[in-house]
Amino acid sequence: MRINTWYISSLLISIVVIIPILTVFSSFFEDTSNYFEILKQSFFLEYVFNSLTLLIGVMFLTFILGVGSAYTVSFYQFPGANFFKWALILSFAVPPYIYAYSLFAFFENYGTAFTILKFLFGEGNYNKHIPKFSGMFGLMLSISFSLYAYVYILARSSFLYQSQNLIELGKNLGFSKFKSFYSIILPAARPAIVAGLSLVAMETLAEFGAVDFFSVNTLTTGIYNAWIAFDDLAFANRISFFLLLFIFILFLTENLSRKKARYHLDTKGGFKKKQKIKLCGRKSFFAFAFCFILFFLSFLFPLSQMLYWTIKFPENLNDLQIIDLLLNTLYLVSLSSLVLIFFALISNYGNRVSNKKFLNILSTLSISGYAIPGVILAIAFITFVAWFDENIIKTLGFLSIKKIFIGSILGLVIVYFVRFYSLAFNGIKSGYEKMNIAVDESAYLLGYSKTRTFLNIHIPYLRNSLLFVIILISLEIVRELPITLILRPFNFETFATTAYISASEDLLEAAAVPSLCLIIIASFFILLTSKYILRDNDE
Amino acid sequence: MSENFLEIKNVNFSAGGKTKLKNVSFNIKNKGDIICLLGPSGVGKTTILRTIAGLEKIESGSIKLKDNILSSAKDHIEPENRNISLSFQENSLFPHYTVEKNIYLGTEAKKLNRKKKINPKKVIKLLNIEKILSKYPHQISAGEAQRAALARSLVTQPDLLLLDEPLSNVDQSFKEEIQVELKQLLNNSKITTIIVTHDSYEAFYLGTKCGIILNGQLRQYDDPYNVYHFPNSKEVVNFLNRGILIPAKVTGENSLENQDLGTIKGNFIKHYPKGSNVQLLLQPEDLEHDDRSNLKLEVVDRKFRGTNFIYTLKTNSNLLIPVFVHSHHIHQHEVDEKFGIKRPINIEHIVCF
Repeated sequence: MRINTWYISSLLISIVVIIPILTVFSSFFEDTSNYFEILKQSFFLEYVFNSLTLLIGVMFLTFILGVGSAYTVSFYQFPGANFFKWALILSFAVPPYIYAYSLFAFFENYGTAFTILKFLFGEGNYNKHIPKFSGMFGLMLSISFSLYAYVYILARSSFLYQSQNLIELGKNLGFSKFKSFYSIILPAARPAIVAGLSLVAMETLAEFGAVDFFSVNTLTTGIYNAWIAFDDLAFANRISFFLLLFIFILFLTENLSRKKARYHLDTKGGFKKKQKIKLCGRKSFFAFAFCFILFFLSFLFPLSQMLYWTIKFPENLNDLQIIDLLLNTLYLVSLSSLVLIFFALISNYGNRVSNKKFLNILSTLSISGYAIPGVILAIAFITFVAWFDENIIKTLGFLSIKKIFIGSILGLVIVYFVRFYSLAFNGIKSGYEKMNIAVDESAYLLGYSKTRTFLNIHIPYLRNSLLFVIILISLEIVRELPITLILRPFNFETFATTAYISASEDLLEAAAVPSLCLIIIASFFILLTSKYILRDNDE
Repeated sequence: MSENFLEIKNVNFSAGGKTKLKNVSFNIKNKGDIICLLGPSGVGKTTILRTIAGLEKIESGSIKLKDNILSSAKDHIEPENRNISLSFQENSLFPHYTVEKNIYLGTEAKKLNRKKKINPKKVIKLLNIEKILSKYPHQISAGEAQRAALARSLVTQPDLLLLDEPLSNVDQSFKEEIQVELKQLLNNSKITTIIVTHDSYEAFYLGTKCGIILNGQLRQYDDPYNVYHFPNSKEVVNFLNRGILIPAKVTGENSLENQDLGTIKGNFIKHYPKGSNVQLLLQPEDLEHDDRSNLKLEVVDRKFRGTNFIYTLKTNSNLLIPVFVHSHHIHQHEVDEKFGIKRPINIEHIVCF
């Protein structure tokens, strides 16, 4: 029997990615210390309640902000519409924890808001009039302003590809604008909006930095505390299991509610480009104001706050080894991107040429890593390495391998790999899906071997997808906090960890410089990707 | 040693785990022959091409090219090592390369014989794609993409060229012109070709031989003339849809009797004993219009087909018979009118089942 090397490679990659995910599930059947009993009676319900409250609040806010802004820029023409089209995605550059620092710092007693009021109106007792955004509400705002862009991007692309025919049909049936919106436009964009909200939900449940900063006890912080405070890996894994179950139920509910409904028709020959409605006067002002306020609150506000502190406390700039942090961040970004792209390419091509159902299922499971919070993955990885070291390596009489994987760049890159594999895999897959299989077959018939087809036909074709994936991974890694925090080598810091450590030591001013650097780098990556993310049907 | 250029022997053709055609055998005797395969959609015509190209494997029988085994239950030469070119029905151009690059990629991949029998520029001109050379596949029409893919296949100078509905997306006005030039090019360059098409006129024009595939089998493999005039089964008659079968009784060496049409004379291609009840193939050109005839049938439909009208006539026993009449005929008959048929009816070849 001939061994299909592409198939084997693809299979191995999927198995490697799936191991930590299985570790989390298997942990449910392990014994835990009695902390589980204690927590079940005390904090556990609070974890679940807080996670649910946060989830509902964030999803509601991101739906309003994301769909509202996407609808405004997709259907209407008003001054600044073209600018807001891409400016509104810049909020991605501000991770929820940095937004949380800004929000807290602006409204805290004697914070920036106080300083502004004092500057404008002189000395006064303003603190009692300044609202305080802390706890659950502050957390909801921080996450929502940072993540609404997921809903914005997907809803916008769905609105853009809605045919003018559909909208004209509404007019023809005598629908008002509002009725057209909720009975035609919104239902047609439902899969995209739900996909955006699912991403928001996953990120919300996975959020660690902001949740920790506002001291709200959620399942994620519970996992971290179980590991750090109680040193109980099994318990951490068990909470992770509940969190995953949460995510799984979320997906299942959405899928079941959809049933067999289709939300788009093949547009072959039937697609009619949409005409944007030109707004004038007051309506135009409101559209502009809505987008500007959103852009200001989600991006300019945290940026200005961090910039203000950086200028106000320049000594922090000198204390920080910016070049080292930059090099560390770039080192992680380039190494991880390279590894991810390399393996995701092989896996995708293996799937394509071997066309085996089993491999397809395994690949689908393996990309679920993105749905698993970084904290869980990092702990699952440590659990697996500890188990492997104890039961296999030591039994065979070898030296411990823990140090090679835990607290090392290698371990960090492996967990990044598991967490972001779906980004790389899906990014390349969507590129491949646009390529008819007849293209491969034509190449074979022209005399190209499988490897030559891969190198000479596929790689050049996928060039843009690869670039997009690299930028996306880079953006994620620059913003990533919990995995880096847990698995980084001693004395190895990134902008994200430095900002977190300063903030957790109540040195918010010191967190400003690394936060500002992070926002600038992330904005740079976002501007590079905006060309792909915001591709219009008329561009 | 076999004398055939291509030999397909007892092959079951399968795709996606499903057997599409069973126990198929046919040969291409000479280099340069053009074979056309006709059959309804989904019958497995494309599967035959894909299997010959090496994109599908076989589990029984064998496929030999110039006496070398390409496929059998044991052996399978990979597509890239066969020097067989397949032009797909759907767009298979490399989307990230221009049309020109697409066409020349084939010549780059294979180290072609310096004595080029096919000049790429000539092919490009023939297929009228000079103006789209610098364009990308998404910028051209389906018909242009099909012609570009055809050009790419042709310039590789394959031992065997396989064309899957090569002109299905080409405008009718341009189709016949391409058919003529394509045939000339294939004949001059002596490229052996198998063409899959659903257009019987295209098959009859281009093919040295035609194969009719029906119900998972190759039902007839013969010269186009024979396929049309001497179909070997009722299924082939029905598929070609160029006539109807009417009941008749053999009355002599050269005659039959139908209760509505009376005596029909001609040469039987197969002997039937006197008194046999048969089904006679009556093709639209077999009957002649004659206003003076006393055999009158009722017109139930009239189709204008440019050079011809096709009248559908109803007999007393409710048979519907198609009849061609030149469209410059002196007068036309309307629906419900009576239409005279010249007697006695003479048919060159009498085909019965």
